[in-house]
Amino acid sequence: MSAEVMRARTYRYTMWLIVLGVIVTVSVVRIVTGAERMTAPGTLRAALIGASPILLAGIGGLWAERAGIVNIGLEGQMLLGTWGAAFFAYHYGPYMGLVGAAFMGLLGGLLHAVATVTFGVDHIISGVAVNIIGLGAVGYLAKTFFDDLEGGGPRNLSGYDTLPNITVPGVSDGALKLAEQEWFVISDVAGAVAALTTRISLLTVLTAALVALTAYVLWRTAFGLRLRSCGENPQAAETLGVNVYRYKYVAVLISGAFAGLGGAYLTMVASSSFSVGQTGGRGYIGLAAMIFGNWRPSGVLAGSLMFGYTDGITLLPNSGPLVHALLLLIAVLLVVFAVIKVRKGERTTGIVLALIAVATLAWYLSTDEVNGSFTGMTPYVITLFVIAVFAQNLRMPAADGKSYRRGEAG
Amino acid sequence: MTSIDLEARGIGKRFPGVVANHDVSLHIRPGRVHALIGENGAGKSTLMKILYGVQAPDDGTIVVDGDPVTFATPTDAIAAGIGMVFQHFMLADNLTVLENIVLGAEKRHGIGGAARQRITEISGRFGFGLDPDDLVETLGVADRQRVEILKVLYRGARLIILDEPTAVLVPQEVDALFANLRELVADGCSVLFISHKLDEVLAIADDITVMRQGTTVGTADPATATKHQLAELMVGSELPSPQTSESTVTDDVVLELRDVVVTDDAGRDRLSDISLTVHRGEVVGIAGVEGNGQSELVEVVMGMRRCRSGSIHLDAEDTTRLRTRGVRERGVGFIPEDRHRHGLVLDYPLWENRILGHQTRRPSVRRGLINRAGARADAQRIVEEFDVRTPGIDTTARALSGGNQQKFIVGREMSGEPRLLIASHPTRGVDVGAQAAIWEHIRAARRQGLGVLLISADLDELIGLSDRLEVILRGRLTARFDPAQVTASDLGQAMTGGRDA
Repeated sequence: MSAEVMRARTYRYTMWLIVLGVIVTVSVVRIVTGAERMTAPGTLRAALIGASPILLAGIGGLWAERAGIVNIGLEGQMLLGTWGAAFFAYHYGPYMGLVGAAFMGLLGGLLHAVATVTFGVDHIISGVAVNIIGLGAVGYLAKTFFDDLEGGGPRNLSGYDTLPNITVPGVSDGALKLAEQEWFVISDVAGAVAALTTRISLLTVLTAALVALTAYVLWRTAFGLRLRSCGENPQAAETLGVNVYRYKYVAVLISGAFAGLGGAYLTMVASSSFSVGQTGGRGYIGLAAMIFGNWRPSGVLAGSLMFGYTDGITLLPNSGPLVHALLLLIAVLLVVFAVIKVRKGERTTGIVLALIAVATLAWYLSTDEVNGSFTGMTPYVITLFVIAVFAQNLRMPAADGKSYRRGEAG
Repeated sequence: MTSIDLEARGIGKRFPGVVANHDVSLHIRPGRVHALIGENGAGKSTLMKILYGVQAPDDGTIVVDGDPVTFATPTDAIAAGIGMVFQHFMLADNLTVLENIVLGAEKRHGIGGAARQRITEISGRFGFGLDPDDLVETLGVADRQRVEILKVLYRGARLIILDEPTAVLVPQEVDALFANLRELVADGCSVLFISHKLDEVLAIADDITVMRQGTTVGTADPATATKHQLAELMVGSELPSPQTSESTVTDDVVLELRDVVVTDDAGRDRLSDISLTVHRGEVVGIAGVEGNGQSELVEVVMGMRRCRSGSIHLDAEDTTRLRTRGVRERGVGFIPEDRHRHGLVLDYPLWENRILGHQTRRPSVRRGLINRAGARADAQRIVEEFDVRTPGIDTTARALSGGNQQKFIVGREMSGEPRLLIASHPTRGVDVGAQAAIWEHIRAARRQGLGVLLISADLDELIGLSDRLEVILRGRLTARFDPAQVTASDLGQAMTGGRDA
């Protein structure tokens, strides 16, 4: 058996163990804290709705960064997507809304690609510019096109059709019943199943399909290999006849389209109306999810679900006790990480983690409720935390963010 | 496999302000190893890039098997059966051997099982011994080079261009490479072998073409040509030798390391129990395959890295805890291995580069402020004394050739009468003329009592300059040789752990 197959197997095995460990831990914390809503179908449904736009943005970011372009302009492209979805859905129906959102996001991507690939502008500078332009353009477009419409205003629009929901008959009812039992592990898993089978948006399903498609295309096709090679060593790719500029362009355009779809999710699934600035920084959170996920689709998925959960629960009524219960979960996970670090011989990191765990625990014990706004910053805190603690394990594409000029090879 | 007959006629290439190639003619006959030799800056790299389609020539034609061709991109050159192995490997570390090889050639056998089988087959035929599923980052230098050659063969190349392939190899690896090349030629490939190591060229080549100052100045027959003739063709002067004359070693210890241990971030030992002394007037050479702890050794002496245990003394003063500035202020000069990353700020003019590393000392700085006049005057002195070919001291470092950049660094590091010089690959990538000059400066300073710690991959340089040789292998000093008696082959064996190591 080759080394690659062995590695892949070990990796998969470890991943399943981690997933199982997380489920058990969550279940224990749920029972200890009495925060039964932690894994209730309604909570998880909110989490799913919170996670999907972040996931779309994160996967968009993955496309660009795998080709070596840092796309911090995801936020702006997402904003363009919100407008595109509203405009096209209002005039031509919800499916054209999706197309319109992807197209507007793609335009944002094109702007970023022209700046970074053709003109060699610093990726961060260009990305920030795209975000600012995106916000300005959406404000302008909304005022121009939506002000006179029925259900419209200078900064908002409603009254368009949204996408259908899907409920899997049988499975949904059964899972909902099981979830109510509050059994150890079983009810938690049932909650997740119920959330996935009850009134799930078509776009959520499409998002999942796109994630799988991304993983397949990037890692199992010649096109994906070429695209990734542009992010690892574009000079080498050039010497092998890969048109690096073209692949970078394609990657950033796809990236923008994904972000645009993320915008569509916000205007057509998470709500049924458009307003300027609807993204609220989710493009950045998508980028954070991608870094958290170590530039891998499965990792981005995990990161998005986690960040989506913290995003989703703030929208629930009376979320204070639930957020408070999460503190205990965080403390437990920190202790686990601390133990791992100490066993690896990194004592200092382990001790720091343990101290943070103790502080979190103290916070948990001394209060009964935490303001929901607290969770707004968690994606950034967790990402910083992951970068600081697991920097050695993170593996970004080797030439990510570096300017590339044709003809430099050799 | 059919061979390829390639002829370049009257090739010319101009860059703004520079004529890189003019009237270059070269005929590579099928089934032969053709060596292209010349100093750095003679235009070999430009010619190579033109032959491989990375750059387009301004004049001249390339004729393949009798038909004129134009290569707009490397793809065209690949299609014509030309493959290139770059000096700086063109590999993506984070991809597997298989992925690196099939990249750009996915149409041949896909990216899955068929490709894997083909790679294993080629690897087996030429005795490369590569596993297609290994990550490239886990491979050593010689294996990476084989991946590069395999990459070229996989595309069905009939002419393989190798740019200074032996620069990174130890003698045993060079022998293995030459055996691989002979197999290839026996199989019908042609090889264009670019080098400035004349021994190797004479050992492997069937035909030799010499370049100087951007043009081809002659051909030679390896059966009759001597090194001296080739060197004269290359530089128009005698072949310089690094031989030192009489010993100037004294009993005064200038640098002493006692049981130094260095670990990396993950806690692995990079240097284990290194004990080493350098005396006044002595050159101590460190031989070793790259990545065996040389960089760590240099960094720990320079205070760029902390040692976990052990001590470092400079003239009996304990400098173990000193930072780099403190070490430098005590009279240690440092020629770093990568002059672009560590030695120079490429976009600063020379006189500002003169100040770097001397930012607390005269004549560059007075009372904490930069002494512009002093620094400029001293930069001018270095340019003159060390024969740095530059339009002036206001020229940015980037505009200079590698050899002149290096001479400037050597000049700066020899300023202020250092007691100790840490020279890490002092002549890497510089042409023969600059190499001779740098050797002469090191020798002169040694006569005046300078202690030198020399790290080099060039075994001739090590043997020629050193008073004593230490071999470093996996972070330990494993063998000691007297340069007067050792041969390159003995040294190579010790460096790879082949014997008594």
